[in-house]
Amino acid sequence: MKKFIALVMAAAMALSLAACGGAPASTSTPASEPTSASTPASEPEQTDAVSADDIEDNMTSADGTYEIAFITDVGQLKDKSFNQGTYDGVKLYAAANGLSYKYYQPANGDQATDDDRYNAMKAAVEGGAKVVVCAGFMQEGALRRAANEFPDIPFIFIDGYPLQAKATEYDNAGNALPNDSPILTNVAAIAFQEEQAGYFAGYAVVKDGFEKLGFSGGGGGNNPACCRFGYGFVQGANAAAAELGKTVDMNYSWEHGANFSASPDLQTMMEGWYANGTEIVFACGGSMFQSISAAASANDGYVVGVDVDQSAQSDTVVTSAMKGLADAVQWAVAKVYDGTFSEIGGVATSLGVAEHAVGLPTAESSWRFETFTAEEYNALYEQVLNGELTIDSDYNNLEQEYSNLNLNII
Amino acid sequence: MTFLIQQTLTYAVPLMIVALAGVFAERSGIINLALEGIMIFGAFIGVLFVNLTQKAGVFAEAKAAGDWVALQGFMVLAMAVAALMGAVFSLLLSFASVNLKADQTIGGTALNLLAPALVLFFIRIIANQNTLQMAEGDSASWFMIKKSFFGYGRGDEMGFFGRTFIDKTYLATYICILLFILLSILLYKTRFGLRLRSCGENPQAADSLGINVYVMRYAGTTISGALAGMGGFVYALTTANCASTGDVAGFGFLALAVMIFGNWKPLNIAGAALLFGLFKCIAASYASIDINGDGVFLLADLGISPHFYRMLPYLITLLVLAFTSKKSRAPKAEGIPYDKSTR
Repeated sequence: MKKFIALVMAAAMALSLAACGGAPASTSTPASEPTSASTPASEPEQTDAVSADDIEDNMTSADGTYEIAFITDVGQLKDKSFNQGTYDGVKLYAAANGLSYKYYQPANGDQATDDDRYNAMKAAVEGGAKVVVCAGFMQEGALRRAANEFPDIPFIFIDGYPLQAKATEYDNAGNALPNDSPILTNVAAIAFQEEQAGYFAGYAVVKDGFEKLGFSGGGGGNNPACCRFGYGFVQGANAAAAELGKTVDMNYSWEHGANFSASPDLQTMMEGWYANGTEIVFACGGSMFQSISAAASANDGYVVGVDVDQSAQSDTVVTSAMKGLADAVQWAVAKVYDGTFSEIGGVATSLGVAEHAVGLPTAESSWRFETFTAEEYNALYEQVLNGELTIDSDYNNLEQEYSNLNLNII
Repeated sequence: MTFLIQQTLTYAVPLMIVALAGVFAERSGIINLALEGIMIFGAFIGVLFVNLTQKAGVFAEAKAAGDWVALQGFMVLAMAVAALMGAVFSLLLSFASVNLKADQTIGGTALNLLAPALVLFFIRIIANQNTLQMAEGDSASWFMIKKSFFGYGRGDEMGFFGRTFIDKTYLATYICILLFILLSILLYKTRFGLRLRSCGENPQAADSLGINVYVMRYAGTTISGALAGMGGFVYALTTANCASTGDVAGFGFLALAVMIFGNWKPLNIAGAALLFGLFKCIAASYASIDINGDGVFLLADLGISPHFYRMLPYLITLLVLAFTSKKSRAPKAEGIPYDKSTR
């Protein structure tokens, strides 16, 4: 009898191991469309008639190769934010042009190492990828290795910067040593001027009457995109408060968001903020939105979404600081297919207001301000567009004295 | 203060009910190490039930009409389903330890390993990612009790009692407390409870008086599984926005610690759970706790590293266990498979 039990235990463990190992790898299961099926396609960035949500996440190509590959950042594919927004671009381009596509999630989830990411990229190239879209600046190390190894494959580095063939080394004192290795021309770096989107959001909510704000960001303060969003949000709120002649308060925190996931701790912290008078929180980090909107919903508070228009996900969303991920991906992938990739390869592309790549959603259903009007928003947008108003993007200046804002960094 | 009490209850109640689950199993003589696994499984089943029911649109009308009584019923139903499947899942443990006389520690560990893997496997198939969420909305807007249900407006005051114990609470919390009381009475004041406990102390003697030890142990473990499954769902509902991730942040193991700290006695367990819940709440939100309502956030102003606050609940558990475990007295026959022939 003992032997039988040992057998059962062994089987149980083997099963659990197999399931663990199998889960993070990209599946080929023809799974039906999950939760997002209920999300109406109200994203204004999609000019196409086809909604990205109507396109299957997993497609099966006839010959088993996939031309457009997507490597996810930390967090979930369907985070209804950064990963999903980027993948929407892949899906839309592929569907419009009848190409095959596939996503690869690096193994080990939030603890993915450079090796895990490199393996995902390698798998993508070996799976027939003609272009690999990599989301998130954390892919740098893996991407450098993959781009060196596969010089003929174009890589698109979202939220990234141009990479040199060798990583810059540092001496013991932390100073960068000279690095004269060539720039990798098969990596197209696409970044966004998130501070502009953050500024619009901060300006708009203060103009709309909110006085106690919050910012909860992902990446523990090390993610440049989130830092720019946050710094812009602070500047925008300050500017609007100055115009209105009042002083606003803001809680500013990177806690409980290191891996961009929802957690009970984050939810409790947010409940605390809302219970103590915070009226609106900028949820700047993928799935963290779930915890923050839950806390907002419980306390009749409000939320500012990030990356994509998140108004359909919760009634608590007043507006969203968007960046045109899907558009940028489609634009860059198109460059690969029309043979003009060399224009963007090895170059830093920074998309902002000038390219209409950042902003707030202006569709009727997403515009939930009470007093702030679309005209005011357009006027502000125009000011940034023609250069009357410049927004500081150097987030190292975050901790300064603001004229009309008390910044409480937690 | 209101915030502190509400959040403490939110964390304490799942711990309390799962610790009681442990008591039922251990009092009957079975060590239920699988509490964590059963919680994870229960949370998954509950969330899945909510998700599927929402997709089927069963309660969509009630939600649209603001019929909160129906929505509370929906929640209770989900709790019942989670409890039922938790009980079924725990049968694996009962079967291994009662019928097969296997080592209960290893059996429980196996279930703990099995549950997260199995749950993630299913979530992966169902949701194509690592988290299963509600199909629409969030747990607060569907299941939370708000003062507006009772005709209070946004600016109206309910008074301290109403503000703390009615507004922004979950009915699930009170159901758990009620169940905790009822089941404690069952365990200590009824014939069934006495028989169950006797099987954990001296099963040979119990058997000699005509009590079926096997049945009693099955009963104890099944009640345990039901409570742990329900506790898992309540945890997911109240703290994790009704999402299942194959993880309950170690609450099953904490519940074991609470049970030992509480010396296998319900009243002590309730106290231990509240203590732990309090520190867990402080750990997550120390910066926004205003104890006496004067606008001074003492804990944040102390300038202690947030990492220290996050360690607190676990430090306290260690300390308390170190000082109290000397006096603790486990049921005498727990962990020993009952064999009639050794009578």
